[in-house]
Amino acid sequence: MRPHRQKKTGNNVRTEKEPNPPQSQWLYLYFPLLCLEVLPPTTEGQAVAVICRQKNRHQVICCNSQARIWGIEPSLSLSTALALCPELITLPREIKSEQQGLQRLAVLAYSFSPVVIVDKDSGQGLWLDLTGCSQLFQGYDSLLKKLQLQLQYQSITAFSGIAQSPLAAQLLCQQHFQTQLPASIALDSIALSKLALSNKQQQHFNQLGLQTLADLQALPKASLSRRFGASLIQTIALLTGEKPCTLERFRPPEEFYDLIQNPQGIYNKESLLFPMKTLLQRLCQYLLARQCYCREIHWVFEPLMGSAQTLQIQLSGSQNNWSSLLILCRLQLERLELPRSIEQIILHSDQFVDAPMTNMDLFGDLYSPDKDHALIDSLNARLGTGALSQPVLSAEPLPEQAGTVQSLSNLASSTPLASSKRAPQPLWLLTEPALVQQRNEQLYWRQPLTIISGPERLCGNWWQSEQQRDYYLACDSKGARYWLFRQTNNGRWFVHGLFA
Amino acid sequence: MPNTDNITRLLTRQDIWRGGSQSSIRRTITTGHKPLDRLLHGGWPVGALTELLTQQSGVGELTLLLPILRHYSGKEQLCVWLDPPYQPYAPSLAAAGIALHRLLIVRSKSPQEWLWAAEQSIRSGALLCAWNGKQPPPYKALRKLQLAASGSNSAAFLFSSSKTGTAPSPAILRLDVSSHRVNCLSLTLRKLRGSAPGASIQLALGEASSQRTMLTQLPVNTLYPQIQESVHRVPIKQPCLQLHT
Repeated sequence: MRPHRQKKTGNNVRTEKEPNPPQSQWLYLYFPLLCLEVLPPTTEGQAVAVICRQKNRHQVICCNSQARIWGIEPSLSLSTALALCPELITLPREIKSEQQGLQRLAVLAYSFSPVVIVDKDSGQGLWLDLTGCSQLFQGYDSLLKKLQLQLQYQSITAFSGIAQSPLAAQLLCQQHFQTQLPASIALDSIALSKLALSNKQQQHFNQLGLQTLADLQALPKASLSRRFGASLIQTIALLTGEKPCTLERFRPPEEFYDLIQNPQGIYNKESLLFPMKTLLQRLCQYLLARQCYCREIHWVFEPLMGSAQTLQIQLSGSQNNWSSLLILCRLQLERLELPRSIEQIILHSDQFVDAPMTNMDLFGDLYSPDKDHALIDSLNARLGTGALSQPVLSAEPLPEQAGTVQSLSNLASSTPLASSKRAPQPLWLLTEPALVQQRNEQLYWRQPLTIISGPERLCGNWWQSEQQRDYYLACDSKGARYWLFRQTNNGRWFVHGLFA
Repeated sequence: MPNTDNITRLLTRQDIWRGGSQSSIRRTITTGHKPLDRLLHGGWPVGALTELLTQQSGVGELTLLLPILRHYSGKEQLCVWLDPPYQPYAPSLAAAGIALHRLLIVRSKSPQEWLWAAEQSIRSGALLCAWNGKQPPPYKALRKLQLAASGSNSAAFLFSSSKTGTAPSPAILRLDVSSHRVNCLSLTLRKLRGSAPGASIQLALGEASSQRTMLTQLPVNTLYPQIQESVHRVPIKQPCLQLHT
């Protein structure tokens, strides 16, 4: 007897492979020269230092590489710095523009990672959670390179640190920008002196001969909390990433406001375009981060003295690239009378709409609604808002109220009214009914008119001056058709439309 | 070796007229009227400027374009009306099946603005209906529009007065639109690439009624011609002269 052949089932052979939970990657960006870089640029090759007043003493808080050659460094007093380098340009610190600058960098970082945290303690740093962002940028290295490029484009100096937790990334921050993930994270080598600890604890460590984190972790955990308190355990948990970071995540602000100062003053429109371009690029970065379109932007051009000139630009949407926005602004700018010298340019926008999720056409249809919006925007910009209008329906009995032309506010589709089988109505309406002359029982408007059919009585406006009109269809000798009406109260004839 | 790619590209241009062969590659959109489609070899030319010459407004020149307007607005494409002579009446446009939100009325203040707006509309692929104001645009301006149209994928219509008909025009199609009877258009081909001018057709747009009413008899026909169709079929009795002796 033949043995019964059994089918091999592979179900039990396959082993379920547990995917490793991805190790979290935190990037800390530190901007050492932020307070200098947010200020208007000075001539190249000059030693510049930012000073601020601390305890009745003017102190250097930040200086450029040129100044460092002269031996100037932060926390030097102003008089010493000037003694070292008499040509030193000193600029006062502007905390507000620093905050704005950091905000801007956060918006930039937001396009690289969904989790961005602003370092509020130092005011010069950002955390980015890069976990899971490598797929989009095809690897961490390419992500870091792109980020570096963006920062270089904005001429911002940045140092970076990468580790598995925000705190560790900050502590491991190096004096340059890392464009590659570190091969191994030297968490153990973090010096205990770097941790923000009380002096008493610090002394305690010294007495015990503990230098690095590795020394500390070698001790039993239970004794650690007893000896140094629970706060140290928490700090270590934050460092190793066992405890998640609870700092507030960055959200792009609800409205966009940015400015560029130019102390030298701008005297012509052409040179105005460059700062405008920069501002529009920042706006587009912001729009990208918020995934929305803006409907309106405001420009304010402030002169040194006198009143500011404003420019408001309406957009119909779906314009998220700065070059087309710049063209629109340029068109409007041509018609604008500007102050003689402009010192500050402000771009402000608070009207946004969510970007619709559009599908690409499979066959690449040549026509796209974006083109419509672009056309409307450019017509608006060149001809003025009053030049564009649209016919609008409304349920009113009198023709001049039933069909009006309104200025373009939004391209919403109007629901057509239920059409009843009525007398033919014309395609052209005269904005003001024109009086028809009556000569010997013959109507005359440009030409002699003859009634073909009618009447249709339309009444309306009963609450103020009641209108009762009998509408007739008339024609002239050439075959053109007109829409006439006779007012019932005085029997006068008017032309109200043409059947074009 | 000649670059055949360039030659093909040149030959597919709308403004190249290849004498012998009937332009088979020409893109058209149906006019909605069969006799007119036959006259225009397929319909309104696409990617070209069309000039409609009228003696006066009100003869039905816009009714002629209602099918193409419906076609465009049905596809959610924009129709730009540049400097219309009167206000477009929304209820009748809506009744004709045109999506009003796809209609854009543009008013220009100067000939430069007019030309710029027309060119922009053509380039963006919208359907352009332009009316020239008091003075007809110069040949150079029309040439510019024709060039813009030849690069676009849309039709462009220009309404001008038939007084300017004698002036040369770069438009691919020029059509005389006039009317001698109510609801009946007579269309005369003045110019069409690849076709001899002078051909003429009559186009009935609706019920042609010959009934006229004197003012003293008003109101007489309280019903409209389209409703009392049967009445109109009855020939109107001619008043005959009677001699009384």
